[in-house]
Amino acid sequence: MIDNAVHPADTESVEALLRDELARGDAVAGSVLPILRYLAGTPHSALFGEEVLTRTRAMLADLAGEILDRLVGAGDGRGHSDGEIEVLTRAFLPSPVLLGHVHALALEWQLTESLQARAALDPVASPLLQGLVSCADADLRAAALAFLAAQARWCQVQRRMGLPLGELPAPVFDEVLAIVRKLVAAEPTLAERARVVEAEARSVYAAETTRLGLAQRVVRGLRGSHGDVSALRVTEAGAALFLTALALGSGQTRDAAVVSTQEGQGARLALVLRAAGLEPGAVEEQFLAIHPQAALPSGFERLAADHATAILSSSSGATGA
Amino acid sequence: MGQEGTILAHGVSDGDDRLLSAQEPLAGLQMRCGGELPGTIAVPELLEIVTRARRSNVRVSRVVNAQDGSDAISAWVEVQPEGAGCAIRVRSWQTGALPSEDGAVAERRRIEIDRHLAELTAYLDAGQRILAANSEGGELAAVTAAMNGAVGAVWTDFLPPETVTHQQPLHWRLLDGARVVVPGSHREWRVALIPHRQPGFEPAGFELLLISDQPAASADAVVPAAPVPPPAPRRSLVGRDLAPVLKQPIARIVANAETIRTRLAGPLPDAYAEYAGEIASAGTLLLGLLEDMADLEAVESEGFRTVPDQIDLSEVARQAAGILSVRAREKGIAIAAPGPDQQLPALAEFRRVLQVLLNLIGNAIRYAPENSHIAIELEAHGPRARVIVADQGPGLSPEQQARVFDKFERLGRSGDGGSGLGLYISRRLARAMEGDLTVESVPGEGARFILDVPFDPEG
Repeated sequence: MIDNAVHPADTESVEALLRDELARGDAVAGSVLPILRYLAGTPHSALFGEEVLTRTRAMLADLAGEILDRLVGAGDGRGHSDGEIEVLTRAFLPSPVLLGHVHALALEWQLTESLQARAALDPVASPLLQGLVSCADADLRAAALAFLAAQARWCQVQRRMGLPLGELPAPVFDEVLAIVRKLVAAEPTLAERARVVEAEARSVYAAETTRLGLAQRVVRGLRGSHGDVSALRVTEAGAALFLTALALGSGQTRDAAVVSTQEGQGARLALVLRAAGLEPGAVEEQFLAIHPQAALPSGFERLAADHATAILSSSSGATGA
Repeated sequence: MGQEGTILAHGVSDGDDRLLSAQEPLAGLQMRCGGELPGTIAVPELLEIVTRARRSNVRVSRVVNAQDGSDAISAWVEVQPEGAGCAIRVRSWQTGALPSEDGAVAERRRIEIDRHLAELTAYLDAGQRILAANSEGGELAAVTAAMNGAVGAVWTDFLPPETVTHQQPLHWRLLDGARVVVPGSHREWRVALIPHRQPGFEPAGFELLLISDQPAASADAVVPAAPVPPPAPRRSLVGRDLAPVLKQPIARIVANAETIRTRLAGPLPDAYAEYAGEIASAGTLLLGLLEDMADLEAVESEGFRTVPDQIDLSEVARQAAGILSVRAREKGIAIAAPGPDQQLPALAEFRRVLQVLLNLIGNAIRYAPENSHIAIELEAHGPRARVIVADQGPGLSPEQQARVFDKFERLGRSGDGGSGLGLYISRRLARAMEGDLTVESVPGEGARFILDVPFDPEG
């Protein structure tokens, strides 16, 4: 967008501005074809579905609103102009870590809702979690209860397309604060204010009490005490615990694990589940729960777990990172 | 200044996009959309274009779509920036029936809306005991903390229902929608309980939503509304006082009964589903009666007038036939409406002509035998434009024809859902538009109801 606040006489900066704008336009034009090719080739892709895009945008705008609240004050996030929100949102976009996380959250919510519609799976209290909140292991019970509260909060926030700063995983949290720091660096008073805001945010932030931190605690607790892989059964565990277990079991980041539940990623999902130690029959069941229309290649039942790991590690795909 | 052409209504807004004054039908829509006059524009699409016109200082003309609770409205509006605010001119105004929604969709929508409005949400186990509670703080912070400190306790200990004194908690269906007392809050609150269940099982848990229809007292005070003019002298009891208040609870009864009838809330013996069906249809009748009573008061009031517009009777007839086509098909009745190639320009209010035709065609469907025909014909009759609705029903004797337009006249029928007001109101409407509604019939050979309105020589 062309900023019209430039002084008309200042031709040099107008030219610079137009040149900038032109370069940005060229960049967009250059990425049109790959995007179009992908969308045209995968007609029902949920990865770039309208809902996912809307949620991605709205979550970034909500995060921007929260940060503006902290930086310049003004209540409930509705007080900022569209322009202010857009400046921050645009600063967020180049960050793969943040964008990938937000996209993964949108996809996770979509999976959560489709499991509820298709398999009557409670988005908050899955059967596994219901069992855990009354189990004998006091540590596990406390973790499960805390996770349940966080998951209930998350569902509510997702319905409103929100993204609270304090719920971000540590690398994303750091990234957001770094982006803000960089953005306001040129403006001394704002930079000073940003330092205060950052110190405040860091003083109350605790990665292990975020929803994702608590999910890890529950999954680790399950595996530790019972050698239990029940969190890998999505219809038992619910999407949230399943995705965390999938990430832990396969050594991927959780955001990458979310993408592997999408259409076109079926092979990766099946291999990851097998590599994480699920029996072939159970893999098929989970696979069908997530992709009701798809099928595993015949002969999959003969694939050994370590072989699955080997195939995965030889692929150059988006594991790790 | 674009004064040529017809203008149905004028309105004026100020620099904060508040509607300062408006003529009907704009004023009525503003009120039915939940706004005040004067007050911030409550019609979302109108607010959008007024804001845009005011900010960019450019005239904007566009179609505005809105719903007023019972009708879908589509209007062509011009917004001209003037002074700090805008002048609003309504050029055309069309109302049509809202697309009907089935019970499941309506129920889902209600849940979605409740979720977005909820200021406190809690998660309950199968026994309605608290697992977790969340709120955004404010006046609910204390009760949220108390609930989170008492995991395993029944939620009604913290949010006691207003009227129920039995031992709590009751069955969730009885508590869903109940008004509750929130300690430390002066607002009125209700709860919604959304069960989580596997089909065929009792709920395994619940989502509890705490909702208030009153906004929270906000720190950054809302711009104080300009002084509200004294209310217009009251002439109507049902139309202005009762109908708006009764409509919502009755609609809720119908929606809930539909939910039960269609077994959305769980399996149910057939007999109970039938009772629920009867409740739903009785509620629907009551709603219809209420609308008739409100219309009756409107047409009988002294100041009642219609807003004539250049309309095409052929178009109105097609719309009316379209709206009732499903009901007609259920009885195997074919409606022959005029084709799009036919035109009959007239000067009358679109909405009122549509209302009369819906009444006439609705009656024809109700009283004509199955697998018969209903014909809608158009005739230009000198200074009058004429629509005729002809059925193949039992027809009316001369003596019945004399009485059929009387108030509460049922011609001896009962139990079919009619109020005996439809034809009376329709004739009043026709006459208010400087036209008339008459009937020609021979017993055994069907009836022809004839609506006359002024012909539009310029059309």
